[in-house]
Amino acid sequence: MVKIRLKRMGQKKAPFYRIVVADERSPRDGKCIAEIGTYDPNQEPSAFKIDEEAAKDWLSKGAQPTDVVAKLMKNAGIM
Amino acid sequence: MVQSKKLEQKPDKLEEMVELSLLYDFYGALLKEQKRSIFEAYILDNYGLSEIAKEKNMSRQAVYEVIRRCRKELREYEQRLQLVHKFHLMKEQVHEIQKRADSIAKEEQDERVSVALKEISSLAYEILEEF
Repeated sequence: MVKIRLKRMGQKKAPFYRIVVADERSPRDGKCIAEIGTYDPNQEPSAFKIDEEAAKDWLSKGAQPTDVVAKLMKNAGIM
Repeated sequence: MVQSKKLEQKPDKLEEMVELSLLYDFYGALLKEQKRSIFEAYILDNYGLSEIAKEKNMSRQAVYEVIRRCRKELREYEQRLQLVHKFHLMKEQVHEIQKRADSIAKEEQDERVSVALKEISSLAYEILEEF
């Protein structure tokens, strides 16, 4: 199964996330299939950017977002 | 890329993820290795309890317990040491120093003074980086 997750990037003490598409079985430090957005909680208010078309495309192919990604997508009106 | 609507209500789980991720930056090195790798998968890579359980050959309940303990441990460190709290305060103050130094530098005619102000601004930032 393909998953859509948040992946922590950014410097220490400044969490910043990428929204990545990855195979469920790929190792944690393995390559992801695609990057479709970012989430930056350092901004006020926090900023969520996503390639809407790609997100919808992956969802239609059955990619499963994690709880937090699903909530972000719902807030953005994608799901 | 589409800029989404601003998040009006941040979901709790997300807030917690960011909070724990910050606590991890400050105190993560104090977690025992075995616990730390489980916690990292959960907090840095957004893996679910069942996924970690499968990978580590543990029960879901055991993974849940490890994460619960890590969360508790990290919050206790923060309660005692307040490093994250102090870091936030310091960040605000450093931004204020930069703001003031930059605004004076803009109007300053004397180049030596404006260079010095820029140095003050970048030194303030370095202090924050090395905290």
